Amino acid sequence: MLFFSFFKTLTNQTVTIELKNDIRIRGTLKSVDQYLNIKLDDVDVLDLDKYPHLSSVKNMFIRGSVVRYVMLPRSEVDIGLLEDATRREAANQAGKAR
Amino acid sequence: MPAPESNMERLPMNENPAGAHHGNAPQGFPPQNNTLGPMSQGPPQLPPQMFTTAAQLLDLTDKKLVLVLRDGRKLIGVLRSWDQFANLVLQDTIERLYAGNLYADIPRGIFLVRGENVLLLGEIDLDKEDDIPPHIQRASFQEVFELKKKEDGARKVGDKKRHGKLQTLGFEPEHSGEILF
Amino acid sequence: MSFFGFNTTLPRDRAPAGEQRGIFDTPDPFAEVARARLAANFRDDKDDDVIDFEDTYDGLGDQLDDDQDAFNDDTFGGGFDTGPVGKDFDFFGKTAQVADVIGEEQIRYSLQKPGAPATAPSQPTADAALPDTADQKPKRSGYEKYNDPGYIPDLQAKSSVWGMSKKPEQQFQQQLQQLQQPTPQMVAQAKKMLSLEEVEAQLRRQGPSSLPAQIPLSLPQSMPEPTQPLQRAQMPPLPEGFPQLPPEILQAQFAKGVPPALLQHQPPMVPEPYPLPPNLPIHMLQNANLPPQHMVPPQRQAMPPAAQRPQQQQPPLPQAPRGNNVQLPVITNSQQLMHLTEEQRVAYLMEDAKRAKRNHKIFLLSRGNGLMTPQDKNFITRIQLQQLVAAAGNVADSDAEAVLAEDFYYQVYSQIRGAPRQHPHQPLGHFAQTYLLQTGNRLGGHGSRRQFQSADNHMQRMQQQVQRAVEAAKQKPKNKQLIIEGSLGKISFSNAKTPKPMLNIKRPESSEGAKTVKKPHTDLSVSDRKSVLTNLESVYSTLMDMEDMERTMPPPPDENDPEAIQKHMEWRQKIRSLNQKLWRNLKVMEPIVPNTNTPHPFIAFLAYPKGKKAIPRIFRHIDQEQRVTILTMIVVHLDSLDVVRRAQPVPGETQPSLAVREAIELFSQAVMPSLLGYVNEAPFNIIIGLLGLVIAQTHVQMISRTRIGLGILTMLLSRAEIVKEAGQATERDWQQWVEKFNVLFDTLEPTFADIFPSAINAGDDMYVWQFLAAVGIGASPEQQQRLVIAVKDRVMETVTYSKTLPADMASARLGNVNLFMRAIGLDVELLG
Repeated sequence: MLFFSFFKTLTNQTVTIELKNDIRIRGTLKSVDQYLNIKLDDVDVLDLDKYPHLSSVKNMFIRGSVVRYVMLPRSEVDIGLLEDATRREAANQAGKAR
Repeated sequence: MPAPESNMERLPMNENPAGAHHGNAPQGFPPQNNTLGPMSQGPPQLPPQMFTTAAQLLDLTDKKLVLVLRDGRKLIGVLRSWDQFANLVLQDTIERLYAGNLYADIPRGIFLVRGENVLLLGEIDLDKEDDIPPHIQRASFQEVFELKKKEDGARKVGDKKRHGKLQTLGFEPEHSGEILF
Repeated sequence: MSFFGFNTTLPRDRAPAGEQRGIFDTPDPFAEVARARLAANFRDDKDDDVIDFEDTYDGLGDQLDDDQDAFNDDTFGGGFDTGPVGKDFDFFGKTAQVADVIGEEQIRYSLQKPGAPATAPSQPTADAALPDTADQKPKRSGYEKYNDPGYIPDLQAKSSVWGMSKKPEQQFQQQLQQLQQPTPQMVAQAKKMLSLEEVEAQLRRQGPSSLPAQIPLSLPQSMPEPTQPLQRAQMPPLPEGFPQLPPEILQAQFAKGVPPALLQHQPPMVPEPYPLPPNLPIHMLQNANLPPQHMVPPQRQAMPPAAQRPQQQQPPLPQAPRGNNVQLPVITNSQQLMHLTEEQRVAYLMEDAKRAKRNHKIFLLSRGNGLMTPQDKNFITRIQLQQLVAAAGNVADSDAEAVLAEDFYYQVYSQIRGAPRQHPHQPLGHFAQTYLLQTGNRLGGHGSRRQFQSADNHMQRMQQQVQRAVEAAKQKPKNKQLIIEGSLGKISFSNAKTPKPMLNIKRPESSEGAKTVKKPHTDLSVSDRKSVLTNLESVYSTLMDMEDMERTMPPPPDENDPEAIQKHMEWRQKIRSLNQKLWRNLKVMEPIVPNTNTPHPFIAFLAYPKGKKAIPRIFRHIDQEQRVTILTMIVVHLDSLDVVRRAQPVPGETQPSLAVREAIELFSQAVMPSLLGYVNEAPFNIIIGLLGLVIAQTHVQMISRTRIGLGILTMLLSRAEIVKEAGQATERDWQQWVEKFNVLFDTLEPTFADIFPSAINAGDDMYVWQFLAAVGIGASPEQQQRLVIAVKDRVMETVTYSKTLPADMASARLGNVNLFMRAIGLDVELLG
């Protein structure tokens, strides 16, 4: 749940998402769910000429499994906290495996 | 030596500034009441409901959408129903075929799409949908279909080459066996 | 119509839609309406065209041989001697569970809506007796919340969902009657999708007198149910000279540049004249960024009395078209149109056409609205919430730890960056449960209690349900296999635990490759990268354990309560053992090996950013003795400290590399405050000892060329001065100090000029002036003189340089110099 927990803190931030088929979409992260599906508002498709089917799209639901990268605003990430959260997650996983 | 306490980096759960005098048992932690009384006020977090697939699809219900499937198909229709797996029901669907600078529409009807095949789901701006980008032209289905077949073939060959090269370097293809676009 | 209310006609059977066109770009947008009417007609005339079973039955059933049924029991396992069938075929049981849920929803619904009977959807209800209720209830288009960012779906029910619609025949009869008498009632009834022409026609017939002064209703709201029988023949006759211009065509004309004057003769969007002050200034008219209903002919604005719209509790605010910032006046009158400039008129008509077009589209889309009911959506949301809660563990026993474990980042982050009014010491919130309770309270606590009571109940019920679900999940043995309930077909092969490998690097067959892997662990030192990183992680996990312990600290024990005392003792014991663990992992007590290239493990620890960052957290959990030990270790190893060793000036470079500067910055911000915090309270003999260590163990000239080195020295010197000023130093101690100080001064004197960053403009040199000030204060008059001679050039240089700087920067630079000058009783002012 670490990534879910993490992305939840980025709601209403502007992110750029690169899909596994190379489409890059910038927009406001409205919501994320446990599968890391992403809802983007006010989207802006980079290289729109190549993807005419997205030309009139304003909001988007992106399935988590097709996301390659999410580019996020650095200032909105608490790195120390994230490190600790990662440690906890690792400890949890180790605890569960046992 | 200045005392840069003020710009010390923020530390998680660190209620006291570092360097403050402490005994071995830190002060400032009142006894915890872990029972959740009816009046307890949690931190002002967003409701967990916001972070569900349901919340994401709620706004898209009964809207005209473009659905891109993992095999690259583009369907345009009205989202009528869905569930937590993002399985979808689309009504009055057309499939729009793109190839080169051409496109063609094929009326399809009702779709029930299994969630795992969904790539993205975009809400169409009704005011903008008729502004087809100027470099794109409508053509007959046959024409677009033939062109697309050619394009797909060419891309498949290219992908195979690329994957072959990457695999020798130890990279497994990101979406092995599937055409994703 | 089909069961689900879909349009089941195949594409080939549909009304002519052009060659291969989707329904969304049919050239005649009203064809859909016509089709809906056709469909409705078909339903009403079902007696005429329905195929008779008897006509088509081929009689095959008569040829069945009933005798063969004798073996049915063998095939299907019937008969008396077979055992119980078991649960495998208990479809009813499963169905009943679902039915219970549905039933529950239904009961809840009827509780919320006291007027609505909790009957099965198929039964006709009393509603049918109330004409105009169902069909006047505007159909939600789904676009009402178009641009409300804070939109949270209301979970209220709609009666249509529960089968409140009327019998078609009855409805039709009523409608027929109403259509025959053109009354306001009829207008409301005919508020089905009228073509613009039809609306015009009505307007003309009714004349200006019937202009209703009512709250306007947005157009999408007043969309009719398309299934209503609406026959064109019964429509008011179209006035002559009104060509049927669908909005798209109109727009197309504009696009082609048809002069608007031409269009004025047939303004299909503009109602007939209404008396309005002809010279109404444009700025008095509202701007056109307004909800569409202002543009709608008044007849459409006729709204059924509130009582007849039970479902529409709060008509959503009409939405302005998005991204339309053109300032246009509102036109309610065609004369007004004449007063506009050409440009405005075109813009206005364009805008109006666009709006009409969009509204029409929305109408077309809205035909199937409500297939998914709010209950359905709610239900799925609840399923997901349950999953989330179940994943986060425990709701029932308020185990904050479990929630923390699964949602740590979000929980803490929202506390850190959340609104300041929250209580910092609050146990970190519970996930869904907190929210559910909170909402219940919030809604119940405010004003209109009655209205929210059902929501209150609903939330409580939801919470109970979540708890039940979690209880059930806990009792069920953990399923080892990956089975997703309700999933069909094969499921993904990779998951979080066994992700699909993206890298597949084959190890070379050569023997060397294999050897490196097998390299024994033993010859690694305590300071190799891997060991240090392992130590680091152990330190962090111990720290987190200790921080968790703090949260669970029991209240101060009551002397008369042995149990509380016991608890407290145990807690202290745990903390103590964690402290020992932390101390071990820090490796501070590892023996110091002189003359080696391998850094001490603790110094290696500090070379990593996360090692530096850990120091303030560590200092909170250790005692004074441990703190002085750490400080001593740092002082003894000053010249092997990464921020000193790597910060040595390189000839030709004005400043250290970026990475080193970052390390220095981090050390200054994370480590120095902790050290300073200790030094400020340290007894004088410790300060003397530390200075002695610096002199004896390190290359003082080398460390004095670095910011951190000078910082440590400044720290010690200034503390000694404070102790002296406060009169806390004994004569003997002070003598010892002066001795050490003199050694330091003599060692440094030849290099005083070299401790500055090489170039005068190379950035901040305040730390140097601070150090010099600390030296100057403790120095004898003779030493002060030597000091001035040593740094005089730099002082003059800085004074000169500052004259070329803007005033604020100049005064900052001079202020730094003055820090030193005043320490020895001088001032830059004296230099002129």
